[in-house]
Amino acid sequence: MNGVRDDDGGSLPDSAHLAALAGVKGLGPRRLGLLLSWHHPREALAVVNGDAAPAAPLAAAWPSEFWEHLRVASSQRNPAACHSTCVEWGISVVGWGHRAFPNQLLNDPAPPAVLFMRGDPSVLGRRRVGIIGTRNATRAGTDTAHVLGRELTHHHIAVVSGLAKGIDGAAHRGVLSVGGAPIGVVANGLDQPYPAVHRALWEQVAECGLLMSEWPPGTTPEAFRFPLRNRIIAALSEVVVVVESRERGGSLSTVREAATRDVQVMAVPGSPMVRASSGTNQLLCDGAAPVTGVDDVLMALGLDTRRSGDRVHEPRPAPDDRSARVIELCRLMPRTLDDLVSALDLSVSEVAMRLARLERDGWIAETGGWFQVIGAWSGLGSDRGRGGVHEDLA
Amino acid sequence: MFAGVNGATITGAQGHRVVVEVYVGIGLPAFHMVGLPDEACREARDRVRAAIDSSDLHWPTKRITVNLAPTHHRKTGSVLDLAIALGILAADQQLPADALAGLGFLGELGLDGSVRVVPGLAPMAAVLGDVEVVVPVAGHREAEVGASGRVRSVATLNELVAALAKTAPWPDHRYPELAAEAPATTDLSDVRGQPVPRRALEIAAAGGHHLLLIGPPGSGKTMLAERLPTLLPPLGQDLALESTMIHSAAGVGLPAGGMVSSPPFRAPHHTSSVVALVGGGSQTLRPGEVSLAHGGVLFLDELGEFPTSVLEGLRQPLEAGSITVSRSAVHATLPARFLLVGATNPCPCGGGPPGVCECDETRRQRYLRRLSGPLLDRFDLRVAVSRPAVSDLIDTDPGESSAVVARRVAAARRLAHAHRGMLNADLSGQQLDEFAVLEPAAVTMLRDQLERGRLSGRGYHRVRRVARTIADIHGGEADVDAPIGERHIVEALSLRADVRSVLNVPAA
Repeated sequence: MNGVRDDDGGSLPDSAHLAALAGVKGLGPRRLGLLLSWHHPREALAVVNGDAAPAAPLAAAWPSEFWEHLRVASSQRNPAACHSTCVEWGISVVGWGHRAFPNQLLNDPAPPAVLFMRGDPSVLGRRRVGIIGTRNATRAGTDTAHVLGRELTHHHIAVVSGLAKGIDGAAHRGVLSVGGAPIGVVANGLDQPYPAVHRALWEQVAECGLLMSEWPPGTTPEAFRFPLRNRIIAALSEVVVVVESRERGGSLSTVREAATRDVQVMAVPGSPMVRASSGTNQLLCDGAAPVTGVDDVLMALGLDTRRSGDRVHEPRPAPDDRSARVIELCRLMPRTLDDLVSALDLSVSEVAMRLARLERDGWIAETGGWFQVIGAWSGLGSDRGRGGVHEDLA
Repeated sequence: MFAGVNGATITGAQGHRVVVEVYVGIGLPAFHMVGLPDEACREARDRVRAAIDSSDLHWPTKRITVNLAPTHHRKTGSVLDLAIALGILAADQQLPADALAGLGFLGELGLDGSVRVVPGLAPMAAVLGDVEVVVPVAGHREAEVGASGRVRSVATLNELVAALAKTAPWPDHRYPELAAEAPATTDLSDVRGQPVPRRALEIAAAGGHHLLLIGPPGSGKTMLAERLPTLLPPLGQDLALESTMIHSAAGVGLPAGGMVSSPPFRAPHHTSSVVALVGGGSQTLRPGEVSLAHGGVLFLDELGEFPTSVLEGLRQPLEAGSITVSRSAVHATLPARFLLVGATNPCPCGGGPPGVCECDETRRQRYLRRLSGPLLDRFDLRVAVSRPAVSDLIDTDPGESSAVVARRVAAARRLAHAHRGMLNADLSGQQLDEFAVLEPAAVTMLRDQLERGRLSGRGYHRVRRVARTIADIHGGEADVDAPIGERHIVEALSLRADVRSVLNVPAA
């Protein structure tokens, strides 16, 4: 009665069956977890296939139409094929309760039933900070994420993010820029880099850090998977830093997940004129702690911030007065050439010349006709004269 | 008996002489028209008969045969009505046999015997070179463009017959002045702020560079484009004549004075068909917008909304400066050398600084795809237009007027023509190497841009062309052979916003 798949499945490890089960449509993390709590993976697949009888409580809990749906959906899942794909890509498959399953997720209110991982899981043993934000970020936003990723790595803190465009990618890049080990949690199969422009970044994260997903290879990135991914990011982080977010956005779903897990949420303040900061500014109003430098994050983690403070040398040639005015204007918000010519009352070629020089010297970057300032005003990192500000106020 | 009368028809903007031969003979009363008349032409029978009757003339109750020679090409429209009517009257000996000698007739007849105007009188009158041309009163001015001093105009068939029979003198109508040309109400000084687009207009006019304006709705793209013709020099004698012929053939009203002497501005809507844009349609091959814009500006607002087929139709005119419209039996080549100004939103939502745009990647890509391709390559200048600052709007100090800028434009165009024989936009890569030598600093700047992947091979040529024009405007005659400096290259670079990057939010 249950011998149909035994011929090809007898020699396969449990992970093959887990991988096959994780891809059955309709079997989300919660139901899969329930199923696996009653059956071993091999048996569970047979149950889903209709080749074995489900445990009585399960049979009673799920209606017969659902069992029929599962039978149809699972008929397309082949454990041998799943296994060979995982082996080919170097993907390890761990179920909840397995000794390799991340501790941080064991007691989660909605833990993943199965995790697919590429890379080094030991990085999860470090202190972990989530850096998230909009895909549609400003230059200032991606710079902030990059600097935070870099500085946290200097303090041996792992950065968790989602490998999306914008803030996520910038955070990962910041970690990689100083040889750190980023943790990337994604919403699709580990065999298909998404978004496609992050193909190289994706491979780097898998190589230097850890790449994880709760979906088996071959899963496409569908909209409903992203909020589920966000809960894993929230669950893995001790502190979640939102760098830029709009008034509604995927980052805020991570924030909600973090709130239900008592994970501290912090936000980077932005100009009220910039839409990409509207969500983060609202978070600040709602009581999130502001992040104005890496020290704020370190303090939230209860770490010593005293060793930071080495002043960074400014290698860029100092701009003259008029060019400094250009930088100032661009710092307030992104500007077009038109804005700058009007504001400075100089000729077009004069302003274009200054912008070209500033861009060459690394002060300013142009994207799509908008000029933005690169880097923080007085160093976003650890060289900020925080004490000085307070003294001035006193 | 027999009579032959001079008339003309039109294909494209070219008139064709037609001899209307009429034979009125013994037989059952009938009317036959041969010689490839089209439907509108065939209907002449009913109009002519009614017009003759209501003019108290006599419709012969005989067998009437009308032949339109040469018989191998198709005659279209109602312009031959007048010639047919006079041919019948002459063949029926109601007019003296020699009355029609040395005359040609163009006009449509009303049922009451009135003579009405048709489009294309200028080129048709021009083709009747050796005869005096009789036209409707309202078309007198237009016909004068083609047949100066040889035009007589009449209001009714009766009046014409009386004059031909010498029972009355030629009528001396006070022919109406053409729709008075609205005095130029647009001027560059109307534009507040927006120094960069203003500059781009000046450079486009001086170098003949096609211009793409990229900006959100309400940023004044149309307003800017409308002011470009005011910067261009007036049309020369030949160009004005060509343009007038085209306007006449298309039935577009001519300015006062009869000649289209200032650069035309045409702004077809994005729902326009291919035929409306490039010309064609009926057997007359009516000139399209590209020809109407000859010598002036063709403005395509919402460039991305135009169907691909329409934009493809622009490629020949952009390359050759003319458009050949071919149908199975007829074809016509019309001049179409214009300055193309395109306008588009940066993305479907209107765009804005990074972090503001609401469009997702796929939407933006789809929008971009419509714009991409060979057409985009034609735009030497691609300028981001943003809404002017409030302080600029309420600033009472007007910017430079069109007249001031037009003087600089004219000087730069003279310079280009004198030293290179063409406008800078037409310089080939090879000619650029000869005429647009760069200073070392400028070479460094361009090499840097090329190496960073911010400039393509085509873009490299475009930047040099534009820089040549900028140098011409600045340096004048003195610097015409001097190498192009870094500041000119930098300005040219800043006026070619990369459309791809304008439409794309950068990957982090």
